[in-house]
Amino acid sequence: MLRFLTKSDYLLRETMLGLQRGGWMNWAAVSTVTVLLFLFGMSLQASWQFESLLNQFGSQLEVSVYLDTGIEASALKSAIETFPEVTRVVAISKEEAWQTLVSEMGLSDIQGATQQLNGNPLVDELKVQARSSDEVPLLAQKLTAVQGVDEVLYVDEAVKRIAQLNQGLNWLSFGITSVLTLTAIAVITTTIRLIVMARRREIEVMQLVGATSTWIYLPFILQGIAFGVVGALIAWGLIGGVQQFLAQLLAQQPDFIQFLADGLQLSSEKIVLLPLILLGLGSSVGLMGSLFAVRKFAVR
Amino acid sequence: MAQGTIERPPITPLDISSVFSNVSRPIPTQAQTPQKIVATFQQVSKTYTNGCRALLDVNLHIRQGDFLFITGPSGSGKSTLLKLLYGAERPSQGNVVVDGQDLNRLRGNKLSLLRRRIGVVFQDYKLIPRRTVFENVAFVLWAQGFTRKEIHRRLIPTLKMVGLQDKAYCFPDELSGGEQQRVSIARAIVGTPPILLADEPTGNLDADNSWQVIKILKKLNAIGITIVVTTHDEQLVRQSGHPVVQLRNGRLYRQPL
Repeated sequence: MLRFLTKSDYLLRETMLGLQRGGWMNWAAVSTVTVLLFLFGMSLQASWQFESLLNQFGSQLEVSVYLDTGIEASALKSAIETFPEVTRVVAISKEEAWQTLVSEMGLSDIQGATQQLNGNPLVDELKVQARSSDEVPLLAQKLTAVQGVDEVLYVDEAVKRIAQLNQGLNWLSFGITSVLTLTAIAVITTTIRLIVMARRREIEVMQLVGATSTWIYLPFILQGIAFGVVGALIAWGLIGGVQQFLAQLLAQQPDFIQFLADGLQLSSEKIVLLPLILLGLGSSVGLMGSLFAVRKFAVR
Repeated sequence: MAQGTIERPPITPLDISSVFSNVSRPIPTQAQTPQKIVATFQQVSKTYTNGCRALLDVNLHIRQGDFLFITGPSGSGKSTLLKLLYGAERPSQGNVVVDGQDLNRLRGNKLSLLRRRIGVVFQDYKLIPRRTVFENVAFVLWAQGFTRKEIHRRLIPTLKMVGLQDKAYCFPDELSGGEQQRVSIARAIVGTPPILLADEPTGNLDADNSWQVIKILKKLNAIGITIVVTTHDEQLVRQSGHPVVQLRNGRLYRQPL
């Protein structure tokens, strides 16, 4: 316990001393990490929001299958349920559909309407729920091939476009994140290397009086992690600010846009996950940077 | 290790030997049987990578409680000999054994731990300019992971021993050369190492200061610390009356007392 306290006392003091000596270089390191994590956090959040938007249009993962006249929906239901892409199948008989349609049209006399048209004009229908938006077109093709199916309808374009957009954005953000990660690591490495250089005399004496490498270099590594953590906190604050600003902007918009904005709300677990991911990435970038900085010196 | 001394009751500041009690051993006298060997050079040669030959076929035994002078003109390999002892250089040929450990094979943390048992007074002092005398000396103990309490307990008697208790909060550039040298001695002994190496500790000092430094080293030797001093000051060596070996062109010659 005493040993632990002594250690943390020393580490804290040396880390603070290092930060003090870093001066403006600290700012360079922290701001690079902040920019990295801000962009990363924003794109991660956007990707999550797209996903939840897609889920809101979840009904459009649905494929409507209209059967040939005389074929009963319940007869095909069990066969289609065995398709691997399918999560759920609801059978709607033509009587049900007719009833809904008539009432939606505002007619009260269903028998009269039926007589006028020489019987129920509709066919049986299956509502098939696909597992994911990618699989919808393939599923539709398979369903068309089934005996007794007349027509297959689904909202192909909208779903596909949104999915494509999301994927494109993911790639873009992956690219930007990788480049900025390398930049941040390079800046942290340079910063810490400069501080190590400035303290080379001290480090030399430490080595000669028997300080272990860990003891000498741990403060520098902690300093790198501190850069990452501070950068993550600032980035998280900025993302929160931007989010707040957008929410205020949307509140003044018409109802339809507000309805869309509801889809942009993140679930509570993702609200907690975001800062954790930022902290994790920030501190690993800091760790990497400082390890690169001391690696060359520590090998003795 | 040294941390074990934390539990002891506080000592009176003047009682230096109690700080060094973990190295106290019978004071060597001429009549005693030979002591345990603490350091050995076996056929050691050292050639630097630039081809400069520093030591040639050196054999030397250093016993516990010895006070050994190594003399020789500058460039004769004195500093190299000490550097081999604390592992700052490695021999090109032969073995250096300190405390039973072959320095050729010692790397990383094991080397660090061995260095804690060897105090070194450097020729150029190697004080840290932006730290006070107190911090410069305490630095060694911080580096070795001592507690604050233990650092304070050791510092005052150590500074008293080298006569710098009043200058604890001065910076190195506010001190004279002799005082800086004494700070570097304080730093070398504050960790209570059983072996003390001093590289030209009197090199930049006048006769008075030199003798003061030698007196401090003698006092340390009297409480059992093994001491190896390099110097080119023959006068000082004769005055002190300790065994002397001489280095000439990298070869070691034993001199009669």
